Amino acid sequence: MTDDHEHYEAVVVGCGPGGAAAAARLADHGVETLVLERGPEAGSKNVSGGLVYAEESAPYTLDDLFDGFREAATERPVTDYYIHNVAGNSVKTYDLTDLHEHDTDWCDSVLRRDMDSWLETRVHEKTSATGGGVLTNVRVNGLLRDHGEIVGVTCDELEPIEADLIVAADGVNSELARDAGLMDWAEPEEWFQGVKAVVDMAPDAIDDRFDIGPEEGAAHLFSGDLFEDVRGGGFLYTNADSLSIGTVFHLDSLVEQSAEPHELLDALLTHPLLAGWFKNEYHEREYAAKLVPDSKKVAHRRPYRDRLVLVGDAAGQMQAQGPIIKGMNHAVTAGALAADAFAITRGTADPAAAGRRYTTLLEDSGTMAKLRPRRYDLARTVGERDTVTNAVERVLASPIGSLAVGNPIADRLLQRAYNSPFLVSMLPDTKTGYISLPTLIAEEHGKTIHWESDIEPPTLEERIGDLTYDTDVGNPHIELRDESAAASGAAVTACPVSARDFGGGCYRSEAVTTNGTEETLVSLDTQPCVECGTCAIVADTEWEHPRGGKGVEYREG
Amino acid sequence: MTAIDPDDHTVDELTAALETIDDADELQSVLEAERAGQDRATAREAIHRKLEEIAPASDAESDAVEGDTEPEGEDEETKADVDDDAERTDGDDAEADDAETEPGEEDGEDPGEDDVLSHPTRDKQHVRALEDGDYADMWIFCETQGGELLDVSREMLGKGRDLMDQFEADYGDQEAVVAFLMGDDCEALAEECIASGADVAVYHEDERLERFLHKPYTEIAAHMARGEGTVESTDWREYDEPRYILFPATNNGRDLSAKVQAELDSGLASDCSDLFIEESDVSNPVKTGEPGVKKTVEKVLHMKRPDFSGFEYSTILCLDNPNRDFHPQGCSVIPGSFDPMEPDADRDGLVVEHDMELADDWFRVGIAEHDRLEAGIDLTGHDVIVCLGRGIADAPTEGMELGLDLVDAFEDAALGITRGIVTSSYQFEGHVEAYSKEERQIGETGQVVAPDVYIAAGVSGAVQHKVGMDESDTIIAINTDPDARIRDFSDYFIHGDLFEVLPRLTEAIEAGETALEPEAVADGGEGDD
Ligand SMILES: Cc1cc2nc3c(=O)[nH]c(=O)nc-3n(C[C@H](O)[C@H](O)[C@H](O)COP(=O)(O)OP(=O)(O)OC[C@H]3O[C@@H](n4cnc5c(N)ncnc54)[C@H](O)[C@@H]3O)c2cc1C
Ligand SMILES: Cc1cc2nc3c(=O)[nH]c(=O)nc-3n(C[C@H](O)[C@H](O)[C@H](O)COP(=O)(O)OP(=O)(O)OC[C@H]3O[C@@H](n4cnc5c(N)ncnc54)[C@H](O)[C@@H]3O)c2cc1C
Ligand code: SF4
Repeated sequence: MTDDHEHYEAVVVGCGPGGAAAAARLADHGVETLVLERGPEAGSKNVSGGLVYAEESAPYTLDDLFDGFREAATERPVTDYYIHNVAGNSVKTYDLTDLHEHDTDWCDSVLRRDMDSWLETRVHEKTSATGGGVLTNVRVNGLLRDHGEIVGVTCDELEPIEADLIVAADGVNSELARDAGLMDWAEPEEWFQGVKAVVDMAPDAIDDRFDIGPEEGAAHLFSGDLFEDVRGGGFLYTNADSLSIGTVFHLDSLVEQSAEPHELLDALLTHPLLAGWFKNEYHEREYAAKLVPDSKKVAHRRPYRDRLVLVGDAAGQMQAQGPIIKGMNHAVTAGALAADAFAITRGTADPAAAGRRYTTLLEDSGTMAKLRPRRYDLARTVGERDTVTNAVERVLASPIGSLAVGNPIADRLLQRAYNSPFLVSMLPDTKTGYISLPTLIAEEHGKTIHWESDIEPPTLEERIGDLTYDTDVGNPHIELRDESAAASGAAVTACPVSARDFGGGCYRSEAVTTNGTEETLVSLDTQPCVECGTCAIVADTEWEHPRGGKGVEYREG
Repeated sequence: MTAIDPDDHTVDELTAALETIDDADELQSVLEAERAGQDRATAREAIHRKLEEIAPASDAESDAVEGDTEPEGEDEETKADVDDDAERTDGDDAEADDAETEPGEEDGEDPGEDDVLSHPTRDKQHVRALEDGDYADMWIFCETQGGELLDVSREMLGKGRDLMDQFEADYGDQEAVVAFLMGDDCEALAEECIASGADVAVYHEDERLERFLHKPYTEIAAHMARGEGTVESTDWREYDEPRYILFPATNNGRDLSAKVQAELDSGLASDCSDLFIEESDVSNPVKTGEPGVKKTVEKVLHMKRPDFSGFEYSTILCLDNPNRDFHPQGCSVIPGSFDPMEPDADRDGLVVEHDMELADDWFRVGIAEHDRLEAGIDLTGHDVIVCLGRGIADAPTEGMELGLDLVDAFEDAALGITRGIVTSSYQFEGHVEAYSKEERQIGETGQVVAPDVYIAAGVSGAVQHKVGMDESDTIIAINTDPDARIRDFSDYFIHGDLFEVLPRLTEAIEAGETALEPEAVADGGEGDD
C-alpha cells in the first residue's frame, strides 16, 4: 500500500513556535521536511498572552534558530515586571523583576500573527533548501497507518503523505495526539482557558503611561478578587503600539462557577487600576481565546509513538506556575530536540528510535523537570485536596491569618516569596494561591485607588462582528453528540463566544417543549467559533478543527 | 528555463538527465545547445527519442506553455487543434484555428529533417508569427457572468493598474491597461472596467455572446488583440499586438487563454498567483541566438505560479526567439490573488466598441440549455420578505405559522429566517419544519435580499444578518426589546410581541389597510447605521 504515497523524510504538522523550531532544525540537519499548516498563514490561528522567554538554561531559543528574530518579529523587551494583588479598589503591588529575570536571557512581548508569519517565511526558506517547504491552508485530519503502525498523515486537502518522522506540533487540542491515543480531552482540571484583548495604544502613550523608554516594555500580572471565585489571574503586556490584556483561568474552575470568560476579562479591563493607563480611551483591535494545557498534569512523559513525536502544546508542554506562563519557549526547545533526536537516530531500523531519543533529550536537558516539577507533585498531594484547602482558607479568614500576613515583616517575606522561583513553583493551583492570599495581601497592605473606570468594552456580539471568518458553509467542524443540558450545558457559559441569554453565540440553551414536556436543550452554531478548544473538553461533541483556511482568522494573536 | 547544458554530460549522463524534462521547448533548447556545442549524433538521437516520447502529451506551441493539461469541458478541442495535421485546408472545419488571418510567414527556421515539434507553427499555415513586432499595453480579459464583472476581473484590473504605473515609473513610457470583454450587453460593464483601473475598455456586443462560447470568443479576442477592424475602432493604438495579456484562471478563462494565445502564436503561463515586470538575464542559446552569450531582456513579465505540490513557485517567462516573437506575454491568474482597486466612477478612460463581423459558422456549437446550480430556495426577487428570528422561541411552530400566514397575505412574498433559527434545537412540527433549514437563511453566510418590504419579526439585527437585508427599501421590525440593534436600521419599529403583532398585520393586509394603530408604531429613525 505504501508505494503510491508521496514521501518525505519528515513531516511537521503545525507552524507555531514548536513546528517552526522542529522544521528549522531538521533543515539544518539536511532533512527533507514538509510543514503543513491549517491557517491561511502561520499565526492566523494562534493566540498567546505574549511573552517569549529565552531561558539561560534552555538548549535552544528562538534567536539561536532564527537569526534576527528579536529585531524582526517581537514587540518590546520586558524590562519591568509587577504583580498586583487586588481586593476591591485596594491594590498591593509587588515588583517581580527578580523572579522574572531568574534564568532569563531575554524576554520579549509578541503578537502571534506577526511572529508566526515571520517564522513561516524563514522556515520555508530553510526547508526549501532541503527539498521541502511550508504548505498553508492544509489541515491534517489523522494519522496514516500501515498494519497498525503510524507511517504518515492524512489531510483534508492533499493525498496521504508518508514520512520517516512525523512531528505533531499542532498545538493544544492536537488531533494527532488524540488519534495516536497519547492525549485525551477528558478532564477540565488539566487545562487553562486564556482569553485576551489586543487594545490600541500609541507608542509614545505607552512609553509615557508605563514610564518606560521606546525600547522597553512592561508586564503586569493581576490576582485577587477581581474574578470572584474563579481560579486564575490576569496579565497586561506592552507591545510596540498596543497592549495585550488577558486572563488565564483553570477550566474546571470556570465550569464549576459557571463563569462567563468575557465577563471576567471585562472585570479586568474595567478595573480602576487599568483606567490610569487607558485614560478613558479604549479601542479593542481583537478578542481571542485558546486553551492551554497544564504541563504539571499533562506534559507527556513519553511523547511519541512509532514515528510520531509530539512537541509543544500538543504534548502538554505548557508551563504555568504561579504568574509565569511559559509555553512558546518550551515548544521551541522540544521541537529542536525532536529534530536532533531524528538526526542522531537516522538510519536506525526501529521507527520509534527518534521518539525514544527525544524523550531522553527532554529529560537530560532539564526540560521535563521544569514542565513536571517533582516538588509540585509532592505539594499537590496535600495542597490541592479540598479538605486541606478549606482548612488553609479558614486560617486565612481568621484574625490570625490576617495578623500573619499583615505585619511588616510578612510584607517583606511576601515580596521575597513571590520572587522565589522555588516557592512559586510550590504554590498549588488552588483558591489559596490565586484568590485568598492575594486578596488578603491587598486588604492588609494595599493602597486604595480612588478613580473609576469609564471604559466600556465591546459586547460579545460586537467582538464577534469584528473578527474575520471564512465560514465553511454547510460544513460545521464541531457536532454536538448530546444536546442535553447535563452533557453539554457547561459550554453555554464556558465558551468564550457564548453566553447565557445571548442568541448570537456558539452555544445557546433553549427551553424546548416536546410532547408536552419541557426540557432545556443546548444548540450549537459553529460560525462564531474561535476554535479555542473549550467545548471539546466540557461538552459532549465530535470536535475537529475546520478544514484548511476555514474558520476564524486572527490578525493580531 | 534550460536546466541542462549538454556539454557538461556524457551521452549516457545526458540520457538520464533528459528523463527529468517533459517540456518540448526545453528539450529543443538542449538540442540546440548540443548542435552548437559538440553536436554528437548519439546525443541528438537521445534528445529526439525523448521528444518523441513526450510528443502526444505536450502542448508544443511555444516557449512558455505550461501544461494546463486537465481538459475542462470543451478544452479537448484545444488539443485537437494542436494535433491537427498539416493537410487541413483553410476553412473546411468549423473548429479550425485558421479562419481569416493572412497567409503565414513561415517562422524562419529550416523545416529540415526533424519531427514536427521543432517547428511549433508548421501545422498552422496561417498564423502570423511575428518577428520584431511592435508591442505595447497590458490587456486584461474581463470575464462576466449574469451581466456582472467577475471579482477576478476587477482584481486583475487592480493589479494591472499597479504594474503599469510601476512600468511608467521604471521605463518612463506610459502604456495603457486595456480591458477587453464581450457579451450581449456590456457597454456599461466596459465603463465599470475604466472605474476599476483600465485606461481603455474594448468591448464587443452581440446577443449571441450572452454566454461563453469559445470559438467566437477566441476569434473576437484575437481580432481585437491584433488591432483588426475599422479605423475608428482601432486608431487609438499603434502596435501589432499587446505586450502583455491576462486572463482569469476560471473554467472559461483557462479555456479562452489557451485558445487565444495559440491563435496569437505565443505562450501561456497558466494559474499564476503573482506578477511583476523586471529585466531578465538570458543565456539560453535558443533565446539569445548565440551560445555562451548573456543578454538582458527588458520589461519581462515574470509570472509566478505554484507548482504541482503547491509550496514551490516557478517563475515563467515568455521570451522572444531571435527569429520568432513570443508576444503577448500571457498568463491566467488565480482568482483572489490580487486586490481590486476602490472603483472610481470619475476615472478617465476610453471605451471602444469593437467592430467585426461574426460568422454564423462560429455559432454552430451553441448552448441549448443552462442551469445555475444553487441549492434550493431563491429568496431574491420578491416584493416582500418576512423574516423570523429567535423571537419565536416560546412557540416555534406557532411562530412559523404566523409568519407563513403573513407571507400568504401578500401577492409576492417569501419566508426567510435568521441563522439563529437554522442552528436552534427548536422542535418544529412536520408541516413547518421545512422552513427552518439553511436554504432560507438570510445574511452573510446565507442569501442577500433587497425586497421592497422586509418584515423582521423577533430578529435582533446582528451585523451578519444585516448585510443580507439592509438594501431593502422599507424595513419593518417587530421586537419586544426596544433597544434591539435592528432598530438602528429599521424604517418602522414595532415594539411588541410578534405572537400578537403578526396576526394583526396579516389581518390588516388582508383587509387592505396597511396602517397599524399609531400607538404601536414607533419610527425607528431613518438610516443612521
Ligand atoms: C491567553 C494565552 C496566554 C499565553 N501566554 C503565554 C506567554 O506569555 N508566554 C508563553 O510562552 N506562552 C504563552 N501561552 C501559551 C503559548 O501560546 C503556547 O504554549 C504555544 O503557542 C505553543 O506552541 P505550539 O507550537 O506547541 O502550538 P501553537 O502555537 O498552537 O501552534 C500550532 C499550529 O498548528 C496548526 N495546526 C493545528 N492543528 C492542525 C492540523 N490538524 N493540521 C495542520 N495544522 C494544524 C495551528 O494552526 C498552529 O499554527 C499563552 C496561551 C494563551 C492562550
Ligand atoms: C461568521 C458568522 C456568520 C453569520 N451569518 C449569519 C447569516 O448569514 N444570517 C444570520 O441571520 N445570522 C448569521 N450569523 C449569526 C448572527 O450573528 C446572529 O447570531 C443571528 O442573526 C441571531 O439570530 P436572531 O436575531 O434570530 O436571534 P437573537 O439574536 O437571539 O435575537 C432574537 C430577538 O428576538 C427578540 N424577541 C424575543 N422574543 C420576542 C417576541 N415574542 N416577539 C418579538 N421579538 C422577540 C429579542 O428581543 C431579540 O432581539 C452569523 C454569525 C457569524 C459569526
Ligand atoms: S465553540 Fe467550542 S471551540 Fe469554538 S469558541 Fe466555543 S468553546 Fe471554543
